Amino acid sequence: MIDVQNLTKQYAGRTAVNNISFQVEPGEIVGFLGPNGAGKSTTMRILSGYMPATSGRAVVAGFDVFHQSLDVRRSVGYMPEMAPLYTDMKVKEYLRFRAELKGLSGHTMRRRVGEVMELTGVNDMRRRLIGNLSKGYRQRVALADALVHRPKLLILDEPTNGLDPVQIRHVRDLLRNLKSKHTVLLSTHILHEVEQTCDRVVMIHQGRIRANDTPENLTRQLRSTTLLHLELEGPGNLAEKLTALRGVRKTTEEKLLVHPWRRFTLRVEPEHDVRDAVLDLALKQQWRVREMHLQLPTLEDVFVELSMNAGIPGDIPTHVL
Amino acid sequence: MRIFWILLKKELHSFFVSPVAYVVLALVMILNGFAFRAALSVLESAPSEGSIVSWTFHAMWFWLSYFFIFPLLTMRLFAEEKKLGTLETLFTAPVRAWQVVGAKYLASVIVYCVLWLPSLFNFKFSAWISAGQVELPSGAMQGAYLILVVMGMFNLAMGCFASSLTSNQIVAAIISFTLSQMHFLLGVFIMVVGRKISDSIVDVVNYFAATEHIRIFTSGLIDSRPLAYYLSLSLLFLAFTHHVVEFRRWRP
Repeated sequence: MIDVQNLTKQYAGRTAVNNISFQVEPGEIVGFLGPNGAGKSTTMRILSGYMPATSGRAVVAGFDVFHQSLDVRRSVGYMPEMAPLYTDMKVKEYLRFRAELKGLSGHTMRRRVGEVMELTGVNDMRRRLIGNLSKGYRQRVALADALVHRPKLLILDEPTNGLDPVQIRHVRDLLRNLKSKHTVLLSTHILHEVEQTCDRVVMIHQGRIRANDTPENLTRQLRSTTLLHLELEGPGNLAEKLTALRGVRKTTEEKLLVHPWRRFTLRVEPEHDVRDAVLDLALKQQWRVREMHLQLPTLEDVFVELSMNAGIPGDIPTHVL
Repeated sequence: MRIFWILLKKELHSFFVSPVAYVVLALVMILNGFAFRAALSVLESAPSEGSIVSWTFHAMWFWLSYFFIFPLLTMRLFAEEKKLGTLETLFTAPVRAWQVVGAKYLASVIVYCVLWLPSLFNFKFSAWISAGQVELPSGAMQGAYLILVVMGMFNLAMGCFASSLTSNQIVAAIISFTLSQMHFLLGVFIMVVGRKISDSIVDVVNYFAATEHIRIFTSGLIDSRPLAYYLSLSLLFLAFTHHVVEFRRWRP
């Protein structure tokens, strides 16, 4: 559905996107991740036919984004960052205008506009001026606009930006339901969303692709950050005994307010589940345990690692986090 | 062509839901009323060669309102879309740059033409109320409105161009006003200075002097040269506008 080859985009003296290549297969939901200014929006603008690349090639839905721009725009539903809309139009009026621009007309157009308003939950607002809507509703009107012509590919630039948690969940469910009919490329900062929604993640930093894999594989590669939190009571140097267990790399003790409880954080190897061993040890030594919690690395950790080290997963230094 | 009509409809809609069109209409109606009254008092005081039509469009009141129309009508066109970021939404829909430029321009021309309807009413009404005492030569009427429309098309095209250059409506208005004024004043000033130097300069300047065009057309003489002059300049500025808008797509 998307085929990007060696795409580069330079603004006056600055390289926003540096020689990136990636593919998106039909039916996939791909998350486009990266810190602010990484080149996400630039890439999406190029893919939607809004601006040309400095060099390289991008094919969307079988059409070249530069030479067959109109065909590309017909097959793409694009939602720009910040959801710019005409503030002097009413919701229904705006969506009908957009649907007509994208080639729908008459009864089909009216029915489809009704459908997308229902789908995105803006039906109650259809007679309101867009200028008077809250950020969340504007965001949804923009999403409705992107969907209205049943595009093969949806390119959504931060679709959940500015939404409240309930609305975010709503958009997430919506995207999941769209999966059967559309291919989706979306950028976001909310990593939790990506883990739950996307089939694949493309991470971009400083204009280069740093990772391109499933969310599970990415977190698995980040081995060093599996942590075990413990809260227990016992005499002597507990940290030394805990570190002696197989699979524990390092133990740090934290100050805790209420005596005699003590809190430890163990950095553990993910292939060994050390929880049983810790409990056995506690029983043998007659320690009292009141909390044990295993913290697996999240996509957020991968994201932070990548942004801070600009490295690739696998050779991430162990001292971070 | 279908896309063009959809865009035109939307542009006209934006004109009439915002107060701009009404404010400009009120301004033009008021100052036109003064111009009309000034023309009536000229005819009242002494017999005159010129008709009511030519005196109306020679009044100072007319020129006073005239150059405020264009910045007010055109400053919004592209600058607002740039500011709101909607140009990105617009150009990721399957529309061509010429369709957008053409629709915006034509919408402003239509609104501009609507502005002159009340003045038409003034003339007809005075002829009717005076039972034909106020003469309305049909040549002068046709000539006056023809040159008004064509001169307007030229100034609106410059305004359109000014609006495409910036995302700030005030800046767009100032550029548009300056361009219109420069064209107008070039005609007036050189004509004043030119009389002291030579008549041949006046002859040349008369080709682009707006006051001279108005004088010829309101006396009922329809000259094709100013028509060709204004229409071709309109097209030139529209082409500039198109290039500015389309430049985004070619900037590597």
